[in-house]
Amino acid sequence: MQKENIVPESRDNAFRDLIIKTPGGRNIPTCMQCGICAGSCPVNHEMDYTPRELVRMIQLGLKKEVLSSNTIWICTTCFSCSVRCPRGIYPTELMETLKPIAMSEGIRNRNAKFDNVFADVIKKNGRASEFLLISKYSISEPGMIKQAPFGLALFSKGKLPLSIDKMEDVRELDAIFKLGEKSVDKEAKESTVAKESKETAPERSPKENEGQEAEK
Amino acid sequence: MSEPKKTGVYLCRCGGNISDAVDLQSVADSLKGENVVVNIQDYLCSSAGQDKIKSDIEKGKIDRVVIGSCSPKLHLETFRGMVKEAGVNPNLLEITNIREQASWVHDKDGKDSVNSKVKGLIKGAVARMDSIEPLVPLEKKLVDRTLVVGGGIAGITTSLEIADEHEVILIEKQPYLGGHMIGLSKTFPTLDCSQCILTPKMVAVHNHPGIIMHTQTEVADVSGSPGDYSITLKHSPRYVDIEKCISCGACTRKCPTGAIFLPFAQAVPQAYMIDMSKCDHCGACVKICPRDAVNLEAKEETSTISVGAVAIATGFEPIDPSFIEEYNYPSPNILTAVEFEDMLSAKSKTGMRLQKADGTFPDRVAFVLCAGSRDFTGKGRKHCSKVCCIYSQKQAQLVKKMKGDAEAWIFYIDMRSAGRRFEEFYHHTQEKGVNYVRGKVAEIIPKQDGTLTVQYEDTNLGRKGREIFDMVVLCPALIPSSGTKELADKLGVQLGDDGFIEEKHVKLDPVNTLNQAAFAAGCVLGPKDIHDSVTEGISAAHKVSQFLGKGMILIPPEKPMILECNGCGDCVKACPYNALALEGRKAVLSLLACTGCGICVPACPIKGIEIRNFTRNQLKAQLKAMLAEAPGVVVFIDPYAYAAADIAGVNRKQYSSLVRFVSLPSIHILDADVVNAAFEYGATGVMLIEGTTDEKLTLSSDELYKRLKKDTRKHKKPLRYSHIETAQYEKLTDLLNVFASQAGAKAEKRSRKEKEEGTQEGIAEAT
Repeated sequence: MQKENIVPESRDNAFRDLIIKTPGGRNIPTCMQCGICAGSCPVNHEMDYTPRELVRMIQLGLKKEVLSSNTIWICTTCFSCSVRCPRGIYPTELMETLKPIAMSEGIRNRNAKFDNVFADVIKKNGRASEFLLISKYSISEPGMIKQAPFGLALFSKGKLPLSIDKMEDVRELDAIFKLGEKSVDKEAKESTVAKESKETAPERSPKENEGQEAEK
Repeated sequence: MSEPKKTGVYLCRCGGNISDAVDLQSVADSLKGENVVVNIQDYLCSSAGQDKIKSDIEKGKIDRVVIGSCSPKLHLETFRGMVKEAGVNPNLLEITNIREQASWVHDKDGKDSVNSKVKGLIKGAVARMDSIEPLVPLEKKLVDRTLVVGGGIAGITTSLEIADEHEVILIEKQPYLGGHMIGLSKTFPTLDCSQCILTPKMVAVHNHPGIIMHTQTEVADVSGSPGDYSITLKHSPRYVDIEKCISCGACTRKCPTGAIFLPFAQAVPQAYMIDMSKCDHCGACVKICPRDAVNLEAKEETSTISVGAVAIATGFEPIDPSFIEEYNYPSPNILTAVEFEDMLSAKSKTGMRLQKADGTFPDRVAFVLCAGSRDFTGKGRKHCSKVCCIYSQKQAQLVKKMKGDAEAWIFYIDMRSAGRRFEEFYHHTQEKGVNYVRGKVAEIIPKQDGTLTVQYEDTNLGRKGREIFDMVVLCPALIPSSGTKELADKLGVQLGDDGFIEEKHVKLDPVNTLNQAAFAAGCVLGPKDIHDSVTEGISAAHKVSQFLGKGMILIPPEKPMILECNGCGDCVKACPYNALALEGRKAVLSLLACTGCGICVPACPIKGIEIRNFTRNQLKAQLKAMLAEAPGVVVFIDPYAYAAADIAGVNRKQYSSLVRFVSLPSIHILDADVVNAAFEYGATGVMLIEGTTDEKLTLSSDELYKRLKKDTRKHKKPLRYSHIETAQYEKLTDLLNVFASQAGAKAEKRSRKEKEEGTQEGIAEAT
């Protein structure tokens, strides 16, 4: 991993302030970098930045690195870090806060696949189906082939039911999702407008800017 | 005969601390037309500021002073001393607190609102100043004796430093002197042995003719007043007479259950004691004792002493780290640093050998710092325990010294080695080959074989690590010793929100408390090392000597005056301090017994009692002038809760600028007359806030509130009571905000209703 120097241009204070205002980010300014979060994390070794480093990067407003980090997608939401943090920071909630921001910024991450598959299954059926989840995920993630014997073993013991549980009327769920998307769109628009007016979006390419201006 | 009174109003910019938030010129302008002289200074407390007031008095321009500045806690005595020199009665100077209780706490409200608050407060103070009378403080003789509570290094030092000049009674909860220090092995940064430097001091205490020492003793009750306390002590039984015991050890050789023992070889006093939970009352020790010192029937005793001053040196205790689930304390080989020290000290039960649960030497030892400190989630303590960084390095050095190839690891968050010779000590420990890891330990997992897995992030590398140790030493948060709060409450001493004693002034009066006869030294004021505890012990001793040396104590002269009496005796019944009595069918006041609480004022059915300078009319005059400027929420507040508001100010805790504090010696002085007046003059709500922990008063607070609620009902405006101790400043500001918005909403609703009614009437008239 190439490490960039921290210079004023790489820091985005608006991003930092935005995160600090969310419930998961409220206590970020008080982080003392003790590392109990990372020490408690069961999947820390898979992450490109430990939760502690992620919090530090938010303190500095290193937006690009935070949102492209795989950390937010690797987190298994076990909550060990949140329970132990002596400063009352909730890294688990923070990850959930950062995921939609990364998506709305169009930042893709290969580790986001599971989240996407899970969301798809829920949107379609209203219930989680282990079989659908695992088969769909395996198709998009070739590495899963290694897990096949384990899956078969589970199946043979009746622990991976093939039946797909469905909600009675999925349309009701659709309505909820549509409402949610609407409000997200609105927020996103408001925040981009606010940002544009403050001129604090240095990393956006000029082309994108043109597009947005045309929209306006 | 009496010349017209003229008040000088002096406003302090406080170098911007006040003037940045308050437009003092507009405050001064608003006083035009009143019979006052107004002046604004950069720093009133400076000699230039004081000289200005002094010269105005000497020129005959003014004969009373109102000051708008910081809290009276800081400079009231200075200013009063100055006007006294200039020939004005000190009582005719009062301070209006426009810094801690105005300019520092209303950032969110507009400047106009803060300005109008300050104008109102100053106008109220001017009106009050016009109505009060000069008073002379009363003098009371002091008892020339000090009680020192706590026999650790701070208490020992305090006692020895006082004892050449004034009598000392030193009490200690444990059966021996020395506190935590006697349980230490070597002391940083010099590594000299603790008992070697402490034992001579303990012996000196024991032998000093001016010190009476009681071990296994605690304060049971305090009565009387500062300078003249009557304190009841509770002595737990030792079952061995300290005076008779010659510590020959015959008893312990005969004892079949090991119940009789000498705490440790160098213990002072040198006397055996019995652990009754082990004793089976066989009587062998009684028979064998050559001095007849053993008494198995000994019972808990009490005694009463008379003292003028109290020095509190009750120290600290380690927090019990078992609440940190991931550290799995207690488990074999996981100990606290205090237990580690014990093992290597005079009190050692292992023959001063460091050993694991199985008796062998630990080859790999981890020290885990900040176990329960620096925690803002409410589970642990917020404060840094200060000494752990250095003592853990000392312990690591001891491990390396005992076995050269042993490994010592220190897990720290920030290595805090501020202090003379401490950075050098850190450097020296590094040279000794101790491993330092920057990272808070995440988990300690005990394994079957007695070893411990420690999991952490090395934050310097951003990588998770796992190590196996033979022993893990937790460095727990140091907290005030149990019973600190009870003792402080008995003495009317305030605690901070961390539970340690609140100093009179954080920086300038570090060993005084808000009780002028109570002093403090050592870790009861916050975690600190031996050097600092000794320094504070010497300071406290000096302050005690200074206090007792005056021989007299000045008592505030704001006492009840009995103007009219029909001999009903209601006030005598109401007084919780037995300061009132009926003599020839008239109530008579004992000035020295009276605390000035004013509970007799509303008790008198014919309104014949008033507190000097807090009479009903004086309070009404103040309220009227204050509320004429702008309506607000009137908060009657006693000195203890006032101190909480000051701490809120120092911490810049924000609250509504509608709040107007009216300072009273106690809220029990109030009756419906005054509260109704506040409502009539425009208060949107009234709060009664008291912080005293004196149960003689607080037990009747509920009754007071209910009575006032009933008698002021006609105004249909909110009235609240709340008990806020000094430490609870955050609760105070929350409460003020909630109440101010409730009162505001209610007032708005009422005015809207009135307006509607008004327009309806208008319509009715028109038609």
